[in-house]
Amino acid sequence: MLSREQLEKYLALCMSSEADFAEIYEENEVSETISMLSGKVENVNTVVVSGIGIRLYKDVQSVYAYSNESDEASVIPLINDLKGAIGRSDKEASVKLERVEYENRHPVEIDFEKTPLSEKTDLLKRANDAAFASDDRIVKVQTTLLNVKQDVQISNSNGRLISDTRVRTRLMATAYADENGNLQSGSDRPGAGKGLEYYREYTPEQVGREAARTALVNLIAKDCPSGQMTVIIDNAFGGVIFHEACGHALEATSVSKNQSVFTGKLGQQIANTCVSAVDDGTIKNAWGSENIDDEGNFQKRRVLIKDGILTSYMIDTLNGRRMGMESTSSSRRQSYKFEPTSRMSNTFILEGDAKFEELFEGVEKGLYAKKMGGGSVNPQTGEFNFAVQEGYMIENGKITYPVKGAALIGNGKDILFNIDRVCSNLERGQGMCGSMSGSIPTDVGQPAIRVTNITVGGTANE
Amino acid sequence: MNKEKWIAYALEKGFESFEIYQDISEERTISWFGGQMDTFVTSHVRGTSLRGLIGGKMAIMATENDSDSLMEDLIGKMIQQASAITSEDKGIIRKPEKTDEISANRVFIRPESEDIKEALADIEKRIMDFDKRVLQVSFMEWNETTERREITNSYGMDVKDGEKIQVMVAGVVVGDGSEVKDSYEFDLVEDLSKFDRDAFVKELCEKALNKLGATSLESGTYKVIMEKGAMSSLFSAFSQMFSGELIGKGLSPLNDKIGTKIFSDKITVIDDPRNTEAVELANYDDEGCPTYRKTVVDAGVFKTMLHNSKSALRLGTESTGNGFKSGYASDVNVMPKNMYIVKGEKSLTELEEEMGDGLVIESLAGLHAGLDFITTDFSLQCAGYFVKDGKRDRSITLITVASNFLEMMKDVIDVGSDLEWKLSSIRTPSILFNGLAISGE
Repeated sequence: MLSREQLEKYLALCMSSEADFAEIYEENEVSETISMLSGKVENVNTVVVSGIGIRLYKDVQSVYAYSNESDEASVIPLINDLKGAIGRSDKEASVKLERVEYENRHPVEIDFEKTPLSEKTDLLKRANDAAFASDDRIVKVQTTLLNVKQDVQISNSNGRLISDTRVRTRLMATAYADENGNLQSGSDRPGAGKGLEYYREYTPEQVGREAARTALVNLIAKDCPSGQMTVIIDNAFGGVIFHEACGHALEATSVSKNQSVFTGKLGQQIANTCVSAVDDGTIKNAWGSENIDDEGNFQKRRVLIKDGILTSYMIDTLNGRRMGMESTSSSRRQSYKFEPTSRMSNTFILEGDAKFEELFEGVEKGLYAKKMGGGSVNPQTGEFNFAVQEGYMIENGKITYPVKGAALIGNGKDILFNIDRVCSNLERGQGMCGSMSGSIPTDVGQPAIRVTNITVGGTANE
Repeated sequence: MNKEKWIAYALEKGFESFEIYQDISEERTISWFGGQMDTFVTSHVRGTSLRGLIGGKMAIMATENDSDSLMEDLIGKMIQQASAITSEDKGIIRKPEKTDEISANRVFIRPESEDIKEALADIEKRIMDFDKRVLQVSFMEWNETTERREITNSYGMDVKDGEKIQVMVAGVVVGDGSEVKDSYEFDLVEDLSKFDRDAFVKELCEKALNKLGATSLESGTYKVIMEKGAMSSLFSAFSQMFSGELIGKGLSPLNDKIGTKIFSDKITVIDDPRNTEAVELANYDDEGCPTYRKTVVDAGVFKTMLHNSKSALRLGTESTGNGFKSGYASDVNVMPKNMYIVKGEKSLTELEEEMGDGLVIESLAGLHAGLDFITTDFSLQCAGYFVKDGKRDRSITLITVASNFLEMMKDVIDVGSDLEWKLSSIRTPSILFNGLAISGE
């Protein structure tokens, strides 16, 4: 990382222009990926990401430069390019930085960099063995352990100098089950903002067994029927519905340019009154948490929807200028190669008071989506889609048989009103969210919910 | 980075062979919004990837800090990593091979920033003036990227090449009071001064305006034309089925299918990294293996698996020059390069006439989640338009299309003539299918 004196010099140089704000983001990240196929270690790959990103604002215009070289001979030409783009000026500027100290809210116990490789491959082997032990029909198991340590230092022309270290780990297992040539897969991918101590609470055996269980269910699953029906979406990764149908459209990236179905809707009802939702980047050691956002502001808990009323967007500084609103500390980016913008952290629907069994009452024909896959949304139109990884038909209030190949589609502004029951079994699940500023770790989450009248796309010709 | 020093040190430490792969990329992007420059981005990044064979195991490492002071530490880590590998698979670092190199047809002329801004301002105005239902130019961007690739190894390999692209991108929002729709368009631009702004604006705006008034469709089985863009993305999502690596591991839907009929006899698939019509061109893959044109599927019969050195060794064959990385930091995977379905005779209009009544799917969403690669089942959100008596009837949205990719590719009525190379290196023409399940109302 650059010294304070060096940063002050660069920032002053940046501000000797028409810019009204300058920021320098430095990053050193080490990521280690170990992969195993059916008990044999196939690859161990370490990637060192190291670079600097410099951003200047003039009102709502921004100019950004990045490079993996942070020596003066490389950085000064970049700054000159930026000044040329935003407007040169003869004004003299100086910047005095003051380091902001704080207590780390996400402490790590077992550092992956100091742990022997054999202990890490053991974690994979345990997940692998547990999957194979689940059933004779499990024929192949892929397991991958990802460990990341990202050090960032952010300084800006307001005099702020602050650092953060983000540590994350994730264990992914995919099991393949074969019965008479019918090959099906299932997976599990838990993770946290923790060190390797995470696998004491979520054991590799659980990961392997869950992957195998899903693959085995898919062996007997029938093609899913199509049409509009009531869908009960279970907790944890089921929250991808809120992430896609609503979350992205509440990011200032879309809202500030009038490109979201929720632009101008603050204070208005946008969901059924049983729905309250938050985006909380402060949860201790969560997958989507960090001490500070990528503009150096302390992470926050943002109440997005309270009893169906829209209470907050997720806002970064630049889009905040466009909207005439303050940042909500929501600025994130994959790496220095991306200019940051408003993004989600850990986003979930809060608990309601319905009992799980009550969700099924009165459902003549519906779908119980126990595990969800990923999805996507067009914030402009609100149209979203997501995939069901493990689903069951509901007939006359009872779960009857497993189904595969279901997709759920709809419009975010409608679907939130169609959530009519919210259960009390809140859990979160881990995902990677892709958008303008790259791919970032986010938690989705919810208790089990019931959505009336959603389009289910299935493969059964009914 | 003193490459010779790194290679010599690696050999001294016991590596049988050692490779340094570097990717040097530069970018200039100018985006435009609301009548003024929105963002300007410039960059210079050099990524270095190291691969070395030690004790028969392939160690890999990637770094953006390639200071010589890190040499001992990084190479030491690679030795530890290699010792953790227990797979019997063998990798190799390739010896240099001679090949006749070909050059790209496209020549990109770099415009001045002021000329780019003038073009963006003018195109924005033309879009806004195109139709009174145009509400907003949601984004506009000029992007130019230059990439240089250098592969050096202990056998004396010294492959150097590079490519440049320049792209104009724009998005538009249209509305008629009751609903809002959007669309985007991008074009490769060799010479900005000759760029056909009107044609670009017309294509963009008409695509968005056509979506207004779209309705759902009654659930059922319909004849479907997968328009070239949608078909290219679907084919791309399943393109790894030809990978010799996945087939060797028993993880492809085409396990044991080589030499058998997998698609309709109307389907022929070519992989040609040297296709000068395509946007990317590679004389060598990312292991330095010379590339060549190959028929992957010939009239429906699966003829050629794609291989890198490692997957070829496993199956006792030769690399097909398909060892590519998905970024400098990734391992060398098996990937197609400029793979396409060979075009047929009929235009999209003629395919619509042939179909009579049915659906044209122009876009698919959720491809990263809504398909099962192993079973090839898929269920995806899509949009397009309905064709009645061979003519465009009405726009369709909020429906899903579901099928099994291998089954669907056996039930082809006709293949269109509209193959077009865009940014992606996997392309197809529009294809008319006999019957696909549509879920809607």
